[in-house]
Amino acid sequence: MAIAREAEPVGSLTEVREAGLDRDDLLGVYRNMLITRGVEERGHILYRQGKIPGSFYTGRGNEAAAVGVATAMTSEDVGTPLHRDMGVHIVRGVEPWRIFANYMGRVDGPARGRDGNVHMADERLGMIAMVSHLPAMLPVATGCALAFRIREEARVAVGWFGEGASARGDAHESMTFAGTRKLPIVFVCDNNQWAYSTPTHFEYATEHVADRAEAYGFEGVVVDGTDVLAVYREARRAIDKARAGGGPTLLECLTLRMEGHAVHDDAFYVPKPMFERWAESDPIESFRTWLRANAELTDSEEDEIAAGVKKLLTSSLERAEESPQPDPATLTDGVYATPEDLDTPHHK
Amino acid sequence: MATDTAVDVVMPQMGVSVSEGTVTRWLKQEGEQIEADEPLLEISTDKVDTEVPSPASGTVTQILVQEGETVAVGTKLGQIGGAAAEAPAQEAEPEAPAEPEAAAEEAPAAEAPAAPAEPAPAPAAAPSSDNGKAFVSPVVARIASEHGVDPSQIAGTGKGGRVTKKDILAFVESGGQAAAAPATAPAPEAPAAPKPAAAPVAAGTPLPGETIEPVTAMRRGVAEHMRRSLDTSAHVTSAIEVDFSKVVAAREALKKEFQANYGVNPTYLVFAARATVLTLADYPYVNGELRGDSIITRNFVNLGIAVETQEGKGLIVPVIRNAETLNMLGIAKAIADLADRARNKKLVPDDVQGGTFTITNPGGYGTFHGTPVINQPQSAILGTYALVKRPWVVSDEQGNDAIAIRPMMNITLTYDHRLVDGAYAGRFLRDLRERLESWEGDGD
Amino acid sequence: MAELTYLQAISDGLRTEMRRDKRVFLIGEDVGVYGGAFKVSAGFQEEFGPWRVIDAPLAETAIVGGATGAAMMGLRPVAEMQFADFISCAWDHLVTIAAKQRWRAGTPVPIVVRLPSGGGFSGGPFHSQNPESSFAHIPGLKCVCPATPEDAKGLLISAIEDPNPVLYFEHKHLYRRIKAEVPEERYTTPLGKARTHREGSDISVITWGAMVYTAEEAAQQLDADGVSVEVIDLRTVMPWDKPAVLESARKTSKVLVLHEDTRTGGFGAEIAATIAEEAFEDLDAPVKRIAAPDTPVPFSPALEKAFIPQVEDVVAGLRELAEY
Repeated sequence: MAIAREAEPVGSLTEVREAGLDRDDLLGVYRNMLITRGVEERGHILYRQGKIPGSFYTGRGNEAAAVGVATAMTSEDVGTPLHRDMGVHIVRGVEPWRIFANYMGRVDGPARGRDGNVHMADERLGMIAMVSHLPAMLPVATGCALAFRIREEARVAVGWFGEGASARGDAHESMTFAGTRKLPIVFVCDNNQWAYSTPTHFEYATEHVADRAEAYGFEGVVVDGTDVLAVYREARRAIDKARAGGGPTLLECLTLRMEGHAVHDDAFYVPKPMFERWAESDPIESFRTWLRANAELTDSEEDEIAAGVKKLLTSSLERAEESPQPDPATLTDGVYATPEDLDTPHHK
Repeated sequence: MATDTAVDVVMPQMGVSVSEGTVTRWLKQEGEQIEADEPLLEISTDKVDTEVPSPASGTVTQILVQEGETVAVGTKLGQIGGAAAEAPAQEAEPEAPAEPEAAAEEAPAAEAPAAPAEPAPAPAAAPSSDNGKAFVSPVVARIASEHGVDPSQIAGTGKGGRVTKKDILAFVESGGQAAAAPATAPAPEAPAAPKPAAAPVAAGTPLPGETIEPVTAMRRGVAEHMRRSLDTSAHVTSAIEVDFSKVVAAREALKKEFQANYGVNPTYLVFAARATVLTLADYPYVNGELRGDSIITRNFVNLGIAVETQEGKGLIVPVIRNAETLNMLGIAKAIADLADRARNKKLVPDDVQGGTFTITNPGGYGTFHGTPVINQPQSAILGTYALVKRPWVVSDEQGNDAIAIRPMMNITLTYDHRLVDGAYAGRFLRDLRERLESWEGDGD
Repeated sequence: MAELTYLQAISDGLRTEMRRDKRVFLIGEDVGVYGGAFKVSAGFQEEFGPWRVIDAPLAETAIVGGATGAAMMGLRPVAEMQFADFISCAWDHLVTIAAKQRWRAGTPVPIVVRLPSGGGFSGGPFHSQNPESSFAHIPGLKCVCPATPEDAKGLLISAIEDPNPVLYFEHKHLYRRIKAEVPEERYTTPLGKARTHREGSDISVITWGAMVYTAEEAAQQLDADGVSVEVIDLRTVMPWDKPAVLESARKTSKVLVLHEDTRTGGFGAEIAATIAEEAFEDLDAPVKRIAAPDTPVPFSPALEKAFIPQVEDVVAGLRELAEY
């Protein structure tokens, strides 16, 4: 039996307006979701063309969860998005050409060729670069929230993790600490139902990951992660609550992984009917349908948005390909920070 | 079995302090077949000249170090078997070293102009590594190189007599005098003048009519040891004339028997050596050594015999160990053996170490006198010269003097006056003369 | 100047920085009300309040990971591990995130992790370790190992000022045993600068932490032999003062590297290798290491004595070098 609150889907445009989004915002959300998927689709092509070294991961099916939460954050808030959360980078303003550059290991990617795929973040846009040890980002996000609390700032930290990462002690320690200190943090679980090839019943024994929140002393909420507006609404509530001193929330977004763990994984272990169901609940298609039904999205608006995204991605790709390869002579630069490095927005 | 895999031929370690060697002659050329243990090349070090037997059967695929070149011990000289790799371009020395000359007629008497090869390290001074290699620490090697000092000539106070940094610094600071080696004699190089020992003044371009040849390792060793000996010992030479009549008679009697039964020749040197060994027993300082603050004497004689190895190009002092235990035949055989092996470059490092007294015999070409250089760290060297018939005043049984024709030999004793006084040396020579002049048998 | 114990000097340094810089806060288990397991922060919470002297749950990952996040947000966290041994629980955050973030993502992580380390009091396998070499091996981390009260204060202030993650190994055996004059004003002791604890001409001992005193006692015994021993206190093993070590090695030509950590892969190996590489031609003896044997730290006093390098072990090593 679920302990966490199971959130309702979003109904009318009025309800959305109450949550803080007007029609232009909605089209912006739609556009961001298209860019998110477009960046990853182009990236996948680049990968198969041999232009991206290493491995390649996408968050196809997770666009609503990522874009929804990120849309609910203010520019002062800080987050630790993971590899299914491209939408967070897009919403917070990372230009797609820099993402392509990062994919290709070029100097203009946020990681400047030192780390690949989505192991990047623009600190000035309020994000911290993820590591492969996914749950390890939760204590970091908790630390951000601790800093806000110590300085009594009205800022919130958002820490992302997957249901796979929920198994690790990092998640437990973070939530324990954040719960005891009522830190301004929202723990967002992108539950895409597969930890690589491991299904949820081998990952946790509760009905929801969010059921655990009760044990940490704060609210757990489960939301349909393919419903961008529902995600937005719940994230906004949780963030506002944290900002107001109400402590953490664990927001579990039930999402999809419409592809394998990485592009080298054909996901044979995922039952076919599940893939078929997922295809039917594609978050972008769902939102487009909703917009047409509830917000009078017209064909020409749709075409205009799609064409704009296509143009953006094409020019971004061109610009990224012009970005130079990193100079091997710089390899050992910056292993240690200098006092000047602390001259950043956060450290002033 | 011929080897398919490449086997390296390396410069062997030919003795305690030897760090380099010179390739004198390749006996096989690239492309030639060779059997394992078959002589492959000849090398020369400051200790010995020797043949290097092939480490494997197969084709000589590479010769990397050319004749005349001097390289560090362990350097790859060539390769047997394997693919013929491209040898690094090495300029051959302009002049191949002279062939070793067949020994002079009376083998041990091959001319050896006064003496010494490498001083034999006495046991206490022996550098102590288990593998028998003198260990020179990196810093000592560097200081040695900067100051042109040979560390093996410095008294070591380290573990097993190792030369420590302190030792060599004290040595350098004192101008090469302070750290008198307790075991080996001190080795004053050109005092404190910082010059690399192994890099003598370059010969430059020869003047018209001059030719240049490289100094061999052996020649360099001889040069250094000679200079060092003169800088160490207070050389004094005393000479005595010895009537060899009885020796000549005894030799005639023995010659046939020795040659027929043992294939050795009882040369005059053998008689002189035997008489010397017996006499040394009564004059321990002549067979002794000044080691630091101590005087070393022995109840044994390791008798060095100076031998020329190549015409004018090499000098070596193989040692007859425990010569006091050998009779005439034993000494004759030992000398013949050493001479033979010296000629054929079959001496091993042990053959030239540990001498306590040396005989040099430059008389083969008629010289009747000389002042040999002491073979450090010994305290004396005996010189034997040409045996010539001379008018000699003799007294008959009635005490009447008469002039007779006698086979006479001048014998010299060059001794280190720091340890051996003139009267002591004189008594030694007197006893030696009496022993030879009254020769009646083996003397045992 | 005031005479302070090593422990008081650490407190003094921490208090100095917390008074001077509001960004500095302390987080750890029992650091607040209790004042820390060793009382380094006794009285701190009264002075600085509960949000600058934070009692954390028993969660090293949250403590170090949290400090990392707070540092990225502009604070200057000082995280205390109750025992250095427990840093294993937070390895990931130090090594995976804090150490690499500057290089990888351009984000500096100015944190200090205080690590009460070292044995000598039957602390057993989990309260006695000296894990500095494990972290010195990680590019991006710094490791500080003060030996004296004066350095304990100055190095802690430098560590807090430093824009990098710094592991501050405070030796428990020195806490109350070592007492010395410490300047009352604020001062810094630069990271990466060794201190000549004792000048000598014949043998150099390179060491740090509590072993400085072991080396000193051994050196005094060697005086009687007429052997002059120099003791270099590295102060920080990362960065380590290579020029000072090489200079001493070149002077004496004989080097003994001494540490309380176990031998294989201990930081002494790095020092010995560097000397071999860069001062080879100045050596008059092989570089000698004296370190704990490759075992866990034992509990029984008899076993622990056999584990931690003793004065007589160092004396024997020095004599061996002297005689070489």
